[in-house]
Amino acid sequence: MSTAAVAVRAPAHETESYLEHGRGVRSWLFTLDHKRIGIMYLTAISACLLLGGVFALVLRLHLWSPQGALVSNDAYNKLFTLHGAVMIFLFIIPGIPAALGNFVLPLQLGAKDLAFPRVNLLSFWLFVAGAIFFVVVLVVGGVDTGWTLYPPYSLESARGLGILLALSAVVLTGFSSILTGVNFIATIHRMRPPGMGWFDMPLFLWALYATGVIQIISTPVLGITAAMGFLERIFHLGLFMPEYGGDPILFQHFFWFYSHPAVYIMILPAMGVVSEVVSVFSRKPIFGYRFIAVSSMAIAIIGFLVWGHHMFVSGQSRWASLAFSFLTMLVSIPSAIKTFNWIATMYKGAIVLKTPMVYVLTFFAIFGVGGLTGLFLGLLATDVPLHDTYFVVAHFHFVMVGAVMIAFLAGLHYWWPKMTGRMYHEGVGVASAWLVFLGFNLTFVPQFLAGVLGMPRRYATYAPQFTGHNRLSTVGAFVLALGLVVALAGLLHSLRRGRRAPPNPWGAASLEWTIASPPTHHNFDETPRARGPYDYSGLHEVSEEAGWVREEGR
Amino acid sequence: MTELPIRTLHLLAGAGPGYLPAQASSVAAGVDRVFLFLFWGSAFFLALIILLTIVFVLRYRRRATRLHPEPSPAHSTRLELVWTVIPLVLVLALFAMSTRTWIQMTSADPGADPVRVQVTGRKWSWWFDHPSGKGANELHVVAGRPVELILSATDVIHSLYVPEFRLKQDAVPGRFTRLTFTPTVPGSYPILCAEYCGTDHSRMLSTVVVHADQASFDAWSKEGLPADATLAELGEQVFAEKGCAACHSVDGTRSVGPSVRGLWKRHEKLADGTTALVDEEYLRESLVKPGAKVVAGYPNIMPPMPLEERELKAVAAYLETLAAEGGAPAKGEETKR
Repeated sequence: MSTAAVAVRAPAHETESYLEHGRGVRSWLFTLDHKRIGIMYLTAISACLLLGGVFALVLRLHLWSPQGALVSNDAYNKLFTLHGAVMIFLFIIPGIPAALGNFVLPLQLGAKDLAFPRVNLLSFWLFVAGAIFFVVVLVVGGVDTGWTLYPPYSLESARGLGILLALSAVVLTGFSSILTGVNFIATIHRMRPPGMGWFDMPLFLWALYATGVIQIISTPVLGITAAMGFLERIFHLGLFMPEYGGDPILFQHFFWFYSHPAVYIMILPAMGVVSEVVSVFSRKPIFGYRFIAVSSMAIAIIGFLVWGHHMFVSGQSRWASLAFSFLTMLVSIPSAIKTFNWIATMYKGAIVLKTPMVYVLTFFAIFGVGGLTGLFLGLLATDVPLHDTYFVVAHFHFVMVGAVMIAFLAGLHYWWPKMTGRMYHEGVGVASAWLVFLGFNLTFVPQFLAGVLGMPRRYATYAPQFTGHNRLSTVGAFVLALGLVVALAGLLHSLRRGRRAPPNPWGAASLEWTIASPPTHHNFDETPRARGPYDYSGLHEVSEEAGWVREEGR
Repeated sequence: MTELPIRTLHLLAGAGPGYLPAQASSVAAGVDRVFLFLFWGSAFFLALIILLTIVFVLRYRRRATRLHPEPSPAHSTRLELVWTVIPLVLVLALFAMSTRTWIQMTSADPGADPVRVQVTGRKWSWWFDHPSGKGANELHVVAGRPVELILSATDVIHSLYVPEFRLKQDAVPGRFTRLTFTPTVPGSYPILCAEYCGTDHSRMLSTVVVHADQASFDAWSKEGLPADATLAELGEQVFAEKGCAACHSVDGTRSVGPSVRGLWKRHEKLADGTTALVDEEYLRESLVKPGAKVVAGYPNIMPPMPLEERELKAVAAYLETLAAEGGAPAKGEETKR
């Protein structure tokens, strides 16, 4: 790898930012700088969000009328597969850890980079290769199995090898995910600055740590599942296909053993972002730090033991269903603890309603709905009628899109000044947050109602009684898309026209806000001494332009 | 569209059962009890979260006269215990409540002698073998009589779902699954497929007919073609029962597969460029080995449909009548299955 082109000799106290450090395309594509890799990840996953979003809008337009307004059933089935697979594997899973985490993690540790910068670059290129391979195979191969790939449907001979190739591509991006996890865990273990014990870390780091643990334990199972799929398809070993003596339910166990923890790979970093933002914009230390930190680890561990709640009506053992339902009830507790601590953080605070905070406020309501409706699906009696209906679709969109994407947007608006050195227009940011909130609810609340009435998911056509629900939902999807376009426009506009960002525009106390915006190539001239990540004493706002500074000794 | 807000208000106003589908099985009321208990509990906690957020934002907003937070503790073990233990107790209570109902949902009543119906799912129709010996593409049961469905599937996973019964069970190829229930209210209720199974997943619909009494069921059970039915009449019945209409229309409409109107004795263009005459032999091959000759422009997805020799001849006779009628379809033919 040509690092020579990148490693321009740095002066003892450099002043040029990481964006100016090294020019040309190669200085980006082969950079070992975690910040540039973070920006490249951000670009890549945003492109995937756009792609998945366009699929979603086509699906919603099709569902305008009960007989299907736009495409054939087969085309619809391919589209919902594409939408789900792209959004899950290429946007939501890598989203916060790979894009924001890459940029922020070393900065919050006062470090110059991650522990393994080359591995980090490898992880990015694995992701890009996997993503391109994946989308090409999905489109060319016409994969129509849904992102869950259940056999026998997915392994029928009529279906070709496209599905297995797509699964291999997912494994490629999975390795990227594993490498990121390893890198984060090693960095947090080895590179904390003097004065930062485990319980002095920003909660975003706790969240990324817990995420890393899940990534490295669960993702290999996805690879194993793909390998088993190939063996079954080519050598007819009799693993998943009844015609060779296999059991389709076995696949579901393997699949959900990865895919349920994957939900926590998505939500834990989102919770980390919320913990940072709610404290900074309440100007108060986070309430119940240790409970929030430990609850992340509790979610990571118990989250491994609940996969069977996806299979209550599959024909799995009744005793298994009972145990999985019980454990699912338990995993709801750490999330409840976090929510109450966030709310308590605002109590008697000095709340500043800047864009990231407005996003986080909407997160509370949406995560509340997403979490509580999860109880309906974790309980056996209510899951049986609701399973595989639009209630499930609405529930997981509340968690993945509502909670995770909104937290991603909160984090993006929070760290944007640090990443780019520019301030975006506040009014546009706040407007985008409310549009996203409004559009989101309009899209998915009607889906809860349709699900309760018994509309199954993955239906290209539906009974006329659901026309109203579906039309509201379609209108909502376009409002949501508009909100995202406004957010994107506001951010892009700031790159050219935005005011210069001060080192600390929000008055935050963690280490990334003690250095220039954007940071220099090496982040810190010398290893900083850590202080409490939520210790706001001595910080005061000089002016809008100069941001907040800390008066030492106060 | 206008009905939706009203129904939503019903749900919010506590008239829950008014919003939910009708309760037509012995377990539906129990499921709804758990559902509504959880619904109101969730509504309470959601309202609490939203209310506290709004109140705190209004009350503790940073302004010129209030630049700094008021002193308040950064942690409280007692509070943490309160909001750990209370939700824990609540979810455990919910678990107990739900499990009790679920045990009723999944086990036959003690001492009951359930009517066993064999259910087969296949792309994209259901087949029900009733104990009276009668097979049909609809499920027929008697109100008050416990039923046990033994489900399996011939091709991929399907899932039998009756919203009014609050019940659902996957039908899995290579194994048998069970669903027990007692229907309570006479009437007809839709059966939906809830597990994605390909092209016509959303059209894999059937009906469960709950008869008011055994006599009504027996009358249905004895229904059938008169002894002097023509071969074509038998063929029409076979065509309907085997679910052919899910993919092959009888009115000329293009569907998943070619329409059978006007098909008989036609020269079909095949995917490999050759042509084939539609006759008895072509029909037999298309049913036993559907992939052997695929009509150009259609996907090769039909599952094998082996028929009895007489049934095969009957279907051929039926297709012949469709060729003879030709022209515009008769009124009402579109909905005929």
